[in-house]
Amino acid sequence: MIRYIVRHINLMLFTLFALSVASFALAYLFPADPLVNLSGVQRLSEEEFNLLSEKYAMNESIIIQYLQYMSLLFQGDWGISFSSGLPLGDEIKRSLPASIELSAYSLVISMLVGVPLGFFAGLRHNKHTDYVLLGVSVAGYSVPVFWLALLLIMLFALQLPLFPLSGRISLLFDIPYSTGFILPDIWLSDINNKTAATINAIEHMILPTLAISVVNTAIVLRLTRSAVLDVMGSDFVQAAYSRGLTVSQVIFRHGIRNVLLRILPLLALQTSTLLTNAMIVEVIFSWPGIGNWLLQAIYQRDFPAIRAGMLAVSAFVVIVTVLIDLFARLIDPTQGAPRRGSL
Amino acid sequence: MYFSGAMLSSFERSRAWISTCLLMLLSGCGDYSAEMSQQNGLIYCAEGSPSSFNPQLDTSGTTVDASSHQLYDRLLDFDTQTGRIIPGLASSWLISSDGLTYTFQLRKNVPFHSTAYFTPSRTFNADDVIFSVDRWRLSHHPYHEISGGNYPYFNSLGLKDVIKSVKRVNGYRIRITLHRPDSSFLANLATDFAIILSAEYAEQLLDQGMPERIDTFPIGTGPFKFISYRKDRFIRFEKHENYWKHPFAPEQLIYDITTSSSLRLAKLLTGECDAIAFPSQSELNLIEQDEKLSLDVKSGLNVGFWAFNTARPPFNNPDVRKALAMAIDKNTLLEAVYFDRAVVAKSILPPSSWAYQEEGKEMSYNPVLARKLLRENGIEEGFGMNIWAMPVERAYNPNARKMAELIQSYLKDVGIDANIVSYEWSTFRQRLKLGLHDSVLIGWTADNGDPDNFYRPLLSCSAILSGTNRAMWCSPEYDKLINDAVRYSDPQERIDLYHKASDLLYEQMPLVPIAHAYRYQAYRKALSGFEINPYGGVRFGEVEMSK
Amino acid sequence: MARFNLYQEEFHPSPLKRTWIEFRQSHAALFGLWLFLFFILLMVLGPLLAPYDPLTQDINALLLPPAWDANGGINHLFGTDSLGRDLLSRLIYGCRVTLGISILLVFVAMLVGVAMGALAGMTKGVRSSIINHLLDSIMVIPTLLIAIIIVAILGTGLVNSMWAITLALIPQFVHTTRDFVRDELQKDYVMASRLDGAGKIYLFFNAVLPNMIEMLVVQGTMALSVAILDISALGFLNLGAQPPSPELGTMLSEGLKVAYISPLSIALPGCAIFLMVLSVNLVGDGLRSALRNRFKH
Repeated sequence: MIRYIVRHINLMLFTLFALSVASFALAYLFPADPLVNLSGVQRLSEEEFNLLSEKYAMNESIIIQYLQYMSLLFQGDWGISFSSGLPLGDEIKRSLPASIELSAYSLVISMLVGVPLGFFAGLRHNKHTDYVLLGVSVAGYSVPVFWLALLLIMLFALQLPLFPLSGRISLLFDIPYSTGFILPDIWLSDINNKTAATINAIEHMILPTLAISVVNTAIVLRLTRSAVLDVMGSDFVQAAYSRGLTVSQVIFRHGIRNVLLRILPLLALQTSTLLTNAMIVEVIFSWPGIGNWLLQAIYQRDFPAIRAGMLAVSAFVVIVTVLIDLFARLIDPTQGAPRRGSL
Repeated sequence: MYFSGAMLSSFERSRAWISTCLLMLLSGCGDYSAEMSQQNGLIYCAEGSPSSFNPQLDTSGTTVDASSHQLYDRLLDFDTQTGRIIPGLASSWLISSDGLTYTFQLRKNVPFHSTAYFTPSRTFNADDVIFSVDRWRLSHHPYHEISGGNYPYFNSLGLKDVIKSVKRVNGYRIRITLHRPDSSFLANLATDFAIILSAEYAEQLLDQGMPERIDTFPIGTGPFKFISYRKDRFIRFEKHENYWKHPFAPEQLIYDITTSSSLRLAKLLTGECDAIAFPSQSELNLIEQDEKLSLDVKSGLNVGFWAFNTARPPFNNPDVRKALAMAIDKNTLLEAVYFDRAVVAKSILPPSSWAYQEEGKEMSYNPVLARKLLRENGIEEGFGMNIWAMPVERAYNPNARKMAELIQSYLKDVGIDANIVSYEWSTFRQRLKLGLHDSVLIGWTADNGDPDNFYRPLLSCSAILSGTNRAMWCSPEYDKLINDAVRYSDPQERIDLYHKASDLLYEQMPLVPIAHAYRYQAYRKALSGFEINPYGGVRFGEVEMSK
Repeated sequence: MARFNLYQEEFHPSPLKRTWIEFRQSHAALFGLWLFLFFILLMVLGPLLAPYDPLTQDINALLLPPAWDANGGINHLFGTDSLGRDLLSRLIYGCRVTLGISILLVFVAMLVGVAMGALAGMTKGVRSSIINHLLDSIMVIPTLLIAIIIVAILGTGLVNSMWAITLALIPQFVHTTRDFVRDELQKDYVMASRLDGAGKIYLFFNAVLPNMIEMLVVQGTMALSVAILDISALGFLNLGAQPPSPELGTMLSEGLKVAYISPLSIALPGCAIFLMVLSVNLVGDGLRSALRNRFKH
C-alpha cells in the first residue's frame, strides 16, 4: 500500500516536473525574447533589463535559470500579463476557482442524476429501459458541448427569457474577492442584500452548469451501468443470493457500496474532461474562469499568460486526478492496477 | 428566431415566479423586488477595453467613451442638438479683436472626485486648467513624458505650435495667447480630448513617486467617479455626489466589456445591458421590433471613401480618377454594404456639418462615359489595379471587403481588372502609410463639429506624413484654401472657402466620397435623457433611469 | 429439388463474420453504421452533390430564408448566409472537411501510436519505465486541453490544429498497444514461436498485429469521435480552421453573428457535428459489444 502511494506521489512529482520544464521551455519556444516571455515586462529600459536579467539569472547556465524560475514560481511570482499588466499569479488565483466552481456543481448534478439512472439501467440490463437510457446517454456524450450551450442560450435566455446569458453575477453587485468562489464570496462579503445577490448568482449559474452536466451525466450513467453489471455478475453477489438475500437486500448491502467504489477512480479520470468542457462553456457564457482567460491570452498572443495558464491548468488536473485516485485506493485497497475509464 | 411582445411579457412573469420560488427555497421569506431595487445602476455594454482613462493620450473611441464625458469636464462643450459651443467649466469667454487672445472665466465651487485613493482639499481653479494644457503642450513639463508622452489629437492638429502661452490672471481667470488666429481653436477646446485634470492630485502623485497613476486611477470633475477596472471584463463607476451640473445620474455606471456585437445585442435583449455600443447594422431591425428597446438615429460626422494613390501613375491623372469615380454606383453600394443605413456622400463633409453644401457637385454613375474617358487617357482594356479593403468593421464602412468586391465587378464593366488586397489591421495601416496601394477603401470619423477636422487631416500636404492622407495628395492651392479658412472667424467667409475647396476636390477627385453612415444608439426604454453625441463619445451624465 | 445433408455440418463462420453477426443484432449500431456510411458518402461525393461552390458569394442573395419559408426559394434549400453563400453546399463541404480531416488525423495518430506502443511494449528497463510514466500522466490530460496548449504554442490555424490533435491522440494508441503487446507476448503461442527462434519483429507482425486489428478499430472509433469533436471545437473557438473555410465548427462560430436573423446557420452545422459523432459512437459501441459477445460465446 505504502509502495503504491509512494509510486503515485512519485508519478505525480515526475509529471509536475515535466510540466514545469515544458512551461520553462515555452519561454524559449515563443517568438519574443525569453526574458520578456518569463517576466511579461515588454518595454524594457537598459536598467530594468539588467535588473530582470539578474532576477531570472539569464546570464547563468540554463539549469540555473530553470531553478531560478522554479523558485520564483514557488514564491508566487509568475510574471505579469502582456495584455493586462497584472501579476499572473493573481489572475490565475481569481479565474481558476471560477472554473472549479462550475465543474464542481456540474459534477454534483451529474452524480445525482447519472448514478441512480445508471443503477436503474444496469439492473434492468437488456430490457427496454436499459436500451432507452443507453441511447439517451450515447446522444448525451455525442453532443458537442459548445453547440449545446448555444442551444440552451437560444432557448432559455433569448426565446424564453428565463436566465441571463453571461457572467457569474450581475455587475451591479460588487462582490469583493476573498475565496474566488462566488457563493462563499457573497456570504463573506458585507453587502447589504445578500439574498438578492445569491439568487442572481444562482440564476447565472444554471445554464452553464446544465450544459456541462448533460455530457458528464451521460458518461457517469454509462460508467455506473457497466459497474453495476460487473458487480451484479460477480461471485460475491451470487453468493449473497444463494444465502437467500432478497434482490433489494443484495443491492443495498452489497451493490451500492461496491459500485460506488468501482466508479470513484473512473470519475477521477473524468475530472479533466469536466474541466475541459467547463473551459469551452466559459467562453460561450463569458464566465470569468481559467478557460476564458487562457483563450483570451491565446487570441492576444499573451505569451507569459499562456505559459502560466498552461502550467496551472495541467498541474491542477494532474494533482486532482492523482489525489482522487489515491483516495479511492485508500478506501478500497483491494482494487487492481488503475484502469482507464472505458465507456 | 422571432420575439413577440405578448410572449415576452408572459415569460417575464414566469421568470419572476421562478425567482420567487428559488428565493423561498433559499431564505424562506424576503422581499425580492425591494432588495433588487437597491441595486440602482446602469450597465453599458462597451465594445472594448480602454487603453487608459485619459483621452489626451489616445484618440480611439473606446478610450474616449470610457473617460471623457463620464470622468471629466472640459472648459467648453458642444450642444448635442445644434453643435454650437456652450460653456463647460468656463462660464464665459472673451476673444480679443485680433483673434489672438482668449480669456476664460472659470466656474467656482466645482468639486473634484473624492475617492478611496484621493481626497481633494480644494475645488477646481485656474491651476488645473494650466496643468491640463501644459501637460501636452510643453515637452519639459514633469508630466509630459508620463504614459508615453504622445498626445495624438493635439499633435495631429499642431496645436502645440499654435498656443503661445497659457497664463493665470487670477484664481478663476485664464488667458490663452495664440501665435496666429485659429477659428477652430474654441472647437478644439470643446472636443473629448481637451479634458481638465486635477493639478492637486498630480502633485500628490509626484510626491508619492507614482505619477503614472494619474491616467489609470483618474480624478476629474465629471458626473461619475472611478471605482475599479478589470481589463476585458468591466469598468465600475459610481455617481459623483457633488457634481456641479445636476444631482441626477444613476447611482452606479458599469461598462460590461463585450467585444462580440451579437453578444452585446443578446445582452440588450435579455436586459443584462441597458445600452449597447455599436449595434451591428444587420441587426437593427430586431431592435426596432422590440417594444422595450429604443433605437436612436442621427447622421454621423463621418465619411467612407475610396482614395486613389495619387503618387502613382496612372492615378496621378485627375481624368483617370474621375473616370473611375464615374464607373461605380454609390446607391447600390449603400444598399448592399450599409443596408441603406447611410446617406450618399457628395463631398467629404457630411450633411450635419454647418459648412455642408446642399447644391454641391457630385459625380454620377456613367459607365459609358467612364470607359470613354479611360480609353482617351491611355488606360487599355484589361488594365490591372488593386483595391485595398480594410479588414475591420467601422461605422463609416461596415464591410470594406464586400464593397471592394462590388467595386471589382463595376470596374470589370469598364475593362479594368481589379485585385482585392487585405492585411491584418496594423500591418494594413503601416503599409498604407508607406503608399504601397493603388487605391483603398477606408474612411474618417471626425472628433469635433468643425469642418477643418475633415479637410485638414484627410487631404492636406502635412497629413501625408502623419499618415491620414490616404490619397497621398498634395495641392498648395488646397492647403492655402483651408489655411485661410481657419484664419477667419466669420462662418460665412469660412463656408465660402470650404465650398471652393470642395469644388477643387471635385475637379481633382483624389478620393471618391461614398457614404456618411448614420450613428445608432440602442438602449432600453427605461433610460431617459440618453442622447447621441454626434461630436464625440457617449455621455451618461444626463441619463435617468425609471423603474 | 431439396437436398438433404448426409453429414451434420457445423457452421464455423470466420471471426470477422461472427463479429458482424453479433453487430447486426443491435438496431442502434446498424442505424449508426448507415448514418456513418451516409457521411462517408457525403465526404467522397461532396463536390458532385453540392449545388454551389461553398465559397462563392452572391450579393443578390444575402441571408435568404430556407426553401420552406414563405420568402425562401427552391434555389437554396437551406437558404444562404450573410455573404450569400449557399448553406446546403457549405454544409456538405463542411462535413467533408471535418470528417475527412478527422479520419486522416486518427489514421496518422494510429500509425505513430502503434509503432511507439509496440516499441514500448517490447522493451524493458529504465527508458521504457520513464516513457510509461510520462504516458500515464499525459493520458490524464484530455486531448482537447493538450490540443489547445499546442495550438497556443504553434499559433492558430487549421494545419496547426491538425498537428495538435494528432499529437494529442497519439498517447492513447501508445497506451493500448503497449498493454496489448505486453499481454500478448505472455501467451503460450507466442512463447512457442519464440522458442522456435522467431525474432521480435517477426513476432510483432505475425503474432501480435493480426490479433490487434479489432482492438485498433474500436480504439479508432473512439479516437475518431474525439477528433471530430476536438477539431470542430477548435474551429468554433477560432483556434483551428479560419473563415471562410467551410469547417463545421468554424461555420458555427460564423453563424453566431447572424444567430437572430438566421437560426439555421447555428442549428445546421451543430446538428451535423452531433450526428457525425453520434454515428461514430454508435458504431464503436456496437462493435465493442459485438466483440465482447463473441468472446463470451
